[in-house]
Order: sequence, then structure tokens, then C-alpha cells
Amino acid sequence: MHPLVRLAAEHAEDVKAKSPILPEGKEIFWAVICFAIVFALLAWKAWPAIKKALADREAKIRADLESAEGAKNQAETELAQYQQQLAEARNEAGKIIEEARLAADQVRKDLIARAEADATELRGRAQEDIRLATERAVADLQGRVAELSIELAEKVVERNLDHDTQIALIESYINQVGSR
Amino acid sequence: MAESTSDRIEAYAKALLEVARAEGMLHEVEDDLFRFARVFEANDDLRMALTDPSLPTDRRMAVVEELMGGKALNTSAALASFVVGIGRAHELPAIVGRFVELAAAERQHEVAEVRSAVALDEGQRTRLAEALSQATGKRVEVKVIIDEKVLGGIVARVGDTVIDGTVRHRLEQLKETI
Repeated sequence: MHPLVRLAAEHAEDVKAKSPILPEGKEIFWAVICFAIVFALLAWKAWPAIKKALADREAKIRADLESAEGAKNQAETELAQYQQQLAEARNEAGKIIEEARLAADQVRKDLIARAEADATELRGRAQEDIRLATERAVADLQGRVAELSIELAEKVVERNLDHDTQIALIESYINQVGSR
Repeated sequence: MAESTSDRIEAYAKALLEVARAEGMLHEVEDDLFRFARVFEANDDLRMALTDPSLPTDRRMAVVEELMGGKALNTSAALASFVVGIGRAHELPAIVGRFVELAAAERQHEVAEVRSAVALDEGQRTRLAEALSQATGKRVEVKVIIDEKVLGGIVARVGDTVIDGTVRHRLEQLKETI
């Protein structure tokens, strides 16, 4: 038999003798001991810390939840206030718009009234101007007619005032003044 | 001290009166100066020439002498020339007017300034003076100014009283009526 084959056969027999899963008895014993020690140490030292950390964590989460609830309530309150303010603002804006509309309406009415009054005054003034201009024109015309009439009369009188007439006028004057 | 215009006119009028009286020709000088003052008033060119300060004084006096020479007494011409020569030509009508008033007042008469388109004869003047004396209650002397603007008839002014019987006045009344 080849040496190599023989060595392989011996090794195979060793492997068949030990379980590949279960450790040896000593190893199990020490492992249990070690586990017990570690468990005791953890139960003695680590567990309270973990428990406290968990309690703290729980308290923190509860506080956060309460805080969140408070924030939510505050947000809802603020939202309600905001909505109320918004409604008030809308109401106020509506009032302002209504007042502005009324004011604009009043201004429009005032402007129309003033324009009508101005137009009436202008019309009256224009009629008065026309009346005065007509009166002036008539007076001017009368004056002009009078002047032309007098000029014509002067020419007629001058032509007819001979020396005898002049003397007669003087005598008439003297007689009239003397008889006063 | 500078005198007022009315004081100056009064002083000049009194001076003319004294000179005319001293010469014994008051009435004639009065008539001459009155006529010259009326011509001066009515004639724009003459008025401008006699009041023109750029014209030499002797030239202005010569104009007066020339105008009055032969038609008025030398005394009258000299007095008018004096007033013009001393630079008071623009006050000549006022001075002469006051001079005539003073002369009439001296005779206890009022002056009636009469305007007529034609000359009045002596008889008409006398009767007019009597009629005006009767109408105004004052002793009136008539000074006639020939003024063609009156057209016909007579207008007489005695002080503030005006009696207007001219054709011009009647035409003006007619114009007012129209």
C-alpha cells in the first residue's frame, strides 16, 4: 500500500472517532462556568444601567410625546387664532371695501352735484353776459343813432342859421333872461 | 418862500390892474387882454409856441407883440408880453380872468363871460348886461367871446351861474332825450 493512501486512511479513522457538532465534556463545563460568570456580572452591573436607560428613554419618549401633544395643541390653538384673525381681517377688509365703495359713491355724487352747480352757474353767467352785451350793444346803437341824428341836425341847423336868425336868437335870449 | 399858484395868479392880476389903472386905460386894457386870453385858449399852436421853453424868450414876446400890434393898446401888448416873457404863459388865462374880475369888482360889477357865434353890437351888449343883472341880482359887465362852437344863441356865465341859450345846448339836450 502506498504511504500516502495509508496516511489518509488513518486520518479518516480519527475523524470518525470525534463528533463534529458536540464539543467535548470539559469544554462544555468551562463554557457553562464562563456563561454563568458573565451572566452574573451582567445581571449585577449592566442590567440596572440598561433598565435605567430604558426608563429614561421611556420617560424621554413620553415627555417628547407630551411635548408633541402640547405643540400640537398650541399649533391647533394658533391655527384657530389665525383662522379667527383671518376671518376678522376678511371681515375688516369687507368693511373697508364697503366704506370705500360708499365714500367713492359719495365723492361721485358730490362731483356730479358740483359739476351741475358749476354748469348752472356758467350758464347763468353766460346768459347774464349775453344780456349785458345785448343791452350794451343796444345802448351803443342808440348812442350812435343819437350822435348821427345830432350831427345831421347840426348840419341842417348850421346851413339854416343865417345872420338874421342869429340876431333873432340873441334877441330872444336877451328877452328871456330879462324876463326871469 | 414859494407861493401857491392861486397866490401867484392873484399877485400878477393885481399887478396888471395897477399898471392899467396907472395908465388910465383900465377898461380898454381889460378888453384887450380878455380877447387875447380867449385867442390863446382857443389856439393850440399859439399856446404851444408861447409855453415852449425851448423857444427864446424874446421870440415868444415878439410873437405876442406881433399878434396884438395895431389891434390893441401898447400897454395891453406890453402886459401880455411881460406875462409870456416871464414864463407864465400857461397861467395867462387865469391871470387875465382874475384881473378882469378884480377890475369889475372895483367898479362893483361882476363879469359875465358871454359866448356867441356872432358879434354883439353895443346896444345888444347893454341890454344883455341889464338882463343878466336883473336875472342874477348883481351888477354885471359883459365880456363877449366869439365862439362858433355854440352854433347860435348865447351862453353867459356869471360866477358859478350859467345861463345857456345856445343851439349847441339845445342839440345836447335833444341828444340826451334820444
